Amino acid sequence: MIHFRSLSLAGITTLALAAALMLGTDLSVPQQWHLILQRTAPESFADYSYFYGHLPRLIMAIIVGGTLGFVGSLMQQLTQNPLTSPLTLGTSSGAWLALIIMNVWFTQWVAQYSAIAAMAGALSAFMLIVAIVGLKNLSGLPIVVAGMVVNILLGAIATGIILLNEQYAQNIFMWGAGDLAQNGWDQITWLLPKLVLFIPLMLFAPRALALLKLGKDGASSRGLAVIPVFFILMISGIWLASAAITSVGVIGFIGLISPNIARAWEARTPRQELTFSVAIGAILLLLTDRLAFFATQWSDQLIPSGITAALIGAPALIWFSRRQLKAQDSLALILPSGRRHLSPLSLGAISSMLLIAIMAYGFIDLSQGNWQWHWPSAYQWQIRWPRLLTAAATGLGLAVAGVILQRLIYNPLASPDILGVSAGATLAMVASAVWLGQTSLTYNWLAAIAGSLVVLVCLLLLARKHQYTPSSLILTGIAITALIDAVIQFCLAQGTSDSYRILLWLSGSTYRTSAEQSVTLTTGVLLLLGVALICSRWLNVISIGRAFALARGINVSGVSLVLLLIVALMCAMATATMGPVAFVGLIAPHLAIMLGATSGRAQLCIAALIGTTLMLWADWLGQTILYPDQVAAGTLVSIIGGGYFIALLLISRLKRS
Amino acid sequence: MSLTSVRQLIAVVGMALLLAQPANAEITIEDSLGSQTFQDTPKRVVALNWALIEQALELDVIPVGASNPEAYNTWVAQPLAPKEVANIGTRAEPNLEKIAALKPDVILAGDRQRDLVDSLSTIAPVVLLENYSPDSSAGDNAIRHFRTLAKLFDKEALGESRLDSLQQHIAALKGQLQQHYGDTLPEVLPVRFGSDTSVYLYTEHSMSNWVLEQLGLPNARLLPYAAWGVTQKRLETLKDLEQAYVLYILPYPEEEDLKQSFLWKAMPFVRQNHVNSVDPVWSYGGAMSLKYMADVYVKSLLEIADQ
Repeated sequence: MIHFRSLSLAGITTLALAAALMLGTDLSVPQQWHLILQRTAPESFADYSYFYGHLPRLIMAIIVGGTLGFVGSLMQQLTQNPLTSPLTLGTSSGAWLALIIMNVWFTQWVAQYSAIAAMAGALSAFMLIVAIVGLKNLSGLPIVVAGMVVNILLGAIATGIILLNEQYAQNIFMWGAGDLAQNGWDQITWLLPKLVLFIPLMLFAPRALALLKLGKDGASSRGLAVIPVFFILMISGIWLASAAITSVGVIGFIGLISPNIARAWEARTPRQELTFSVAIGAILLLLTDRLAFFATQWSDQLIPSGITAALIGAPALIWFSRRQLKAQDSLALILPSGRRHLSPLSLGAISSMLLIAIMAYGFIDLSQGNWQWHWPSAYQWQIRWPRLLTAAATGLGLAVAGVILQRLIYNPLASPDILGVSAGATLAMVASAVWLGQTSLTYNWLAAIAGSLVVLVCLLLLARKHQYTPSSLILTGIAITALIDAVIQFCLAQGTSDSYRILLWLSGSTYRTSAEQSVTLTTGVLLLLGVALICSRWLNVISIGRAFALARGINVSGVSLVLLLIVALMCAMATATMGPVAFVGLIAPHLAIMLGATSGRAQLCIAALIGTTLMLWADWLGQTILYPDQVAAGTLVSIIGGGYFIALLLISRLKRS
Repeated sequence: MSLTSVRQLIAVVGMALLLAQPANAEITIEDSLGSQTFQDTPKRVVALNWALIEQALELDVIPVGASNPEAYNTWVAQPLAPKEVANIGTRAEPNLEKIAALKPDVILAGDRQRDLVDSLSTIAPVVLLENYSPDSSAGDNAIRHFRTLAKLFDKEALGESRLDSLQQHIAALKGQLQQHYGDTLPEVLPVRFGSDTSVYLYTEHSMSNWVLEQLGLPNARLLPYAAWGVTQKRLETLKDLEQAYVLYILPYPEEEDLKQSFLWKAMPFVRQNHVNSVDPVWSYGGAMSLKYMADVYVKSLLEIADQ
């Protein structure tokens, strides 16, 4: 069987290569062969374009696709997890942030040291992820969740830097979008020597992987030094991936889906999976790149390869990995547990934090060049209150959405951002702005609601089929978040100031919200909070267990539908008013539990309080730290929230060890 | 005192009072929102984008506040903004409280800032001057706005003399080009590199295209208008340019690599040596930036002719 599949895979590879060779050039096939075999020297521009543009681009697609497929398979086998890949382990976000920093603050080094910076960024991001989950815990889902958190955090920092330094980052937008177009063979001759590691890995990795498959104990009893081997393989993989990414830019998904397709194709042994993944990765990138090439020719816009890879990759990821989700994928991310009961002290502490934030927001004035504390003028108040209200309502809404999701889906990590519900709203709004020519991004409620609802429905269909396993939930989140990143990069690569408009909105700023918008948002969020509080008894019962709830005579599916509708509306309203805001929905419910708010009603109220406080602090700090420049609340909350979450995981890990 | 003499006295005093006051000349200007009337010449000016900082400075008006003046001095640099210009935040999100604290008499807003007009106009009158539009040339618009500002700041004589010298300067440059290239000037295409395989081209109604038109240089590839007068294309799409001169605007960090590239060297315009770099210049400025752009374009073309 496997023999037949190998043959057919080889056949497809040859066909794809042959088709790709001939598509997109004006030269006839004999002319092509003469050039390839170097029987004739190139003369006309078409000759040069074929030999120095077309051919290297194809070869680059094969090399990069193969490398990403290989690294993806290596990582997935090492971690025993179908969702690890360079994309999910922070490689591209780390490299992206490093390049942004380089272009903004170290311009003179750009030409020489960009590649080193990108690799250093990718490796540091991976190290951070390892530090979070711990050396002994590198398999399974925790590493994916940690990777997502790091991705969101680094992405937010990069966006913040770009927005404050618009002009500087322009050089690397094309890189960010992932572009395979070549201008000669230089890139390939630069890249190939950095990929030599591939050969020893291909020779020796399968043995080690086969042993690792037996489990850590099994492998070490057969004389394998598990941790060092694991580390060497992982770091080599990251090295290969970051070399590939450095030369062509951010191309996601290939490394993630190739091994999944290979396994769906019944690649059984580690060696088979590795080889299949290399071939599949190469074909996939070759085809998506051709697609980008023709899309560019047909449309008026320059379409980079990264966007087509993401558009095909996101649904493919869900389709091919859905069968491999295992019920026993435990999260094993143990968050510190808290008290049993809510103490008045902690309640007082949060309330006073909220009060201080409101006071600072309302009464501190920086416009005279120093800090002044006075009653705001009518004009200042008129500027401040809609922003204050928007930030507060967004924090409240996302916190409540987080609580409902966590209780409904039985998972402490089920938050609107990790599951991609907010991302769905964002994607729908950006897409309608980019492709339907919608001029204003804010306030496009319809698109936002449609987007988050679609994601929720997908999520539920997938989750129900897989008994609400964490991996099935995170899958959509990863797919959609990565898709959004690709769309963002595509917008940026267009390179006009309108791209910054979209980026600005994506950073989650309260700057442009009007008084009416903030009042509408607040009213909506408070109404939904009311409904949620009415439903909180059901929420209690359902969070014990579905069977239990049914036995108590509760119409579980009906109630779930109402609750999920609340979540979708909350996320859509918040996103439509101020743009995407991450981490609030993840942290607030968890902090509430830690403080002892165990019942549904208490958790809803305390989380709402925490969410509001967090957003107010983020928005006020964002307006203050770089005054008169402003950092968007969404960016700052990602940094605060991401930092807090990472610290939390680190602390709980250190406590255990 | 008779009644008539009292009347005469009142008339005389009244006249004197009238004369003593500054001439209360109302100023009416046209901006992108319609016509606006100012009672006095505004003294304290806030400029929200870089084209407008430049326009004000060229009229010898130093704004009290402007968007990121330090970055302006890095990227636009002609003319430099003095240190006393206060930073009022980014162009996309100007800090309203900071602007209000500067107590401006007028706020100058530009492209893509229309949605800020409502909140800004509670601080001070807003003059919205948009350069880019699908139906009129950004260069013409910048010049019209320059006149509008000259009128507003009561610098009409200065403004006209600057515009005259712009016209004369461009005519002189055109003469220099004709000396080297003959009466029918060659087709030219200014580009900016986006990466080593993609370029930004300036479209119809862009500032760059205005400069080409005035210099009498036909645009080798006139694309339909796109936002900000710029659009991105693959480098390969330039392969049909047989006789045209291609000018790439610096800075471009990978310039040395580009010169080594076989694909680049195979481009017809490179083979014929119809290519040169252009000193850094801001392509989205105000009226006087047209002069700087014309300067560097012509300098680059003359360098080619001298080779």
